[in-house]
Amino acid sequence: MHIIDRYAYSNAIRELDPAQKGGLALIALLLCLALNQPAVGLLTLGWMFALNTLWARVPASVFGRALLAEAPFLLLSLVGVAVSVSLSPPLMPAVRIGPLWLGSNAESVALATRLFTRALGCAAALNFLILTTPLLDLIELLRRLRVPETLIDLMSLTYRAIFVLLESLQRMATAQDARLGYAGPWRALRSAGLLGSQLFLDAYRRSQRLQMALESRGLAGPLRVLPLDYRRDRRARWFGAALAASLLLAGAWR
Amino acid sequence: MDKRWKRWLLVVIGAALLLLFEGRPAYAMHIMEGFLPPLWAAFWFVVTLPFWVIGLRQINRLIAEKPETRLLLGLAGAFTFVLSALKIPSVTGSSSHPTGTGLGTILFGPMVMSVLGTIVLLFQALLLAHGGLTTLGANAFSMAVVGPLVAWGIWKGLKDRAPVWVTVFLAAALANLSTYVVTSVQLALAYPDAVGGFAASFVKFGTIFAVTQIPLAISEGILTVLIFNALQTNAETELQTLGVLKGA
Repeated sequence: MHIIDRYAYSNAIRELDPAQKGGLALIALLLCLALNQPAVGLLTLGWMFALNTLWARVPASVFGRALLAEAPFLLLSLVGVAVSVSLSPPLMPAVRIGPLWLGSNAESVALATRLFTRALGCAAALNFLILTTPLLDLIELLRRLRVPETLIDLMSLTYRAIFVLLESLQRMATAQDARLGYAGPWRALRSAGLLGSQLFLDAYRRSQRLQMALESRGLAGPLRVLPLDYRRDRRARWFGAALAASLLLAGAWR
Repeated sequence: MDKRWKRWLLVVIGAALLLLFEGRPAYAMHIMEGFLPPLWAAFWFVVTLPFWVIGLRQINRLIAEKPETRLLLGLAGAFTFVLSALKIPSVTGSSSHPTGTGLGTILFGPMVMSVLGTIVLLFQALLLAHGGLTTLGANAFSMAVVGPLVAWGIWKGLKDRAPVWVTVFLAAALANLSTYVVTSVQLALAYPDAVGGFAASFVKFGTIFAVTQIPLAISEGILTVLIFNALQTNAETELQTLGVLKGA
């Protein structure tokens, strides 16, 4: 989590208006999803990889690792799509394991391939957005899109508190570990339980202290923060147009 | 021809098994970005929308009554997110991450949880690249709506009839389990089996993910009982303020 957050703040196009980056990612995401063809999926992946490494200067290895986060789900569910299970021999090439027949044919493999490339392309588009845009900028974007104020408040509070609580969690876990709190599975579970309860107390008390501190500074109603100054880049528009045109072309060409 | 297919099939099944027994901690099951067809993705957004509206209204009402709820719920969202980053030993020996929805529902109620759970899911997509934006509706329905409702039903239904630890265990474990079952249903609806249709596909997805998800549900149940016990001794006043122990 720290890795994605770190590159979101330190990449070369961090200052760019989140609406432009969000627009680019959205074009890629929606076209890739709607056109639903292997060529489009791979092209989206290529585009997003190029924008990430050449434009935003995020290392290729980071992009790859973010994509790998979903590998277990993707591969397991692709098996589910590609392989059919039945109790009697099906009308397709199949192997027998015990009483079950596991079969597959060209059609379901083609569906799995389409799904694989589409999911890769869409995930790459999402990763482009999150590796180049800090979460606070995304929340600011949501505020401009008129998402209810309460929700914006909850999201920015959650984001700010996550790292504080995570640090407190890690410190407690290290202390427990140093006292052999994680030797053996049963003791590890007990330690995790204690950790969870202390974390809850920590969160609760922090919210009370924050409330007191903000009230003494005159808090009434929602928390307002000033948006940053964003840079707008004309290239983003050209990238968007080229991206949309190439994806549509790849989708039309079979 | 026939033989080549068989060989490929074995390779694919082998790769899947390898992934299952690889050491990485298992997360709760979220559908990844781009995996659902556009129509199904939109469908699950529409289904989840009413719960978000009700939840947000309830939160707004709570904040109007007690302004400090705003900060408390913000921290509660962070707590749930960080809890889901906690590594716990799983029953099978590998480790896994809890979802935190069972505990969250007992502490804050199911409708508040529909909003907080969605924020947690959104942040998992944006900070961990786990889950997705177009699949947020489907994932929110399984983890932030059905899970909390199941937990709430068990918590309310069994509260005075069974020992507290049994109730807490069942609420957390079944909330986790229902999330996995609903996700399997969602996958099966979108991708029915070529031979057996929806039912066969549901059994298929259910079985594939059962290896990681059922131990995960059991360990989350145990963990939640342990957290809840510790909270009862360490955080009695806080629990009373939240209304958990009212009348108990």
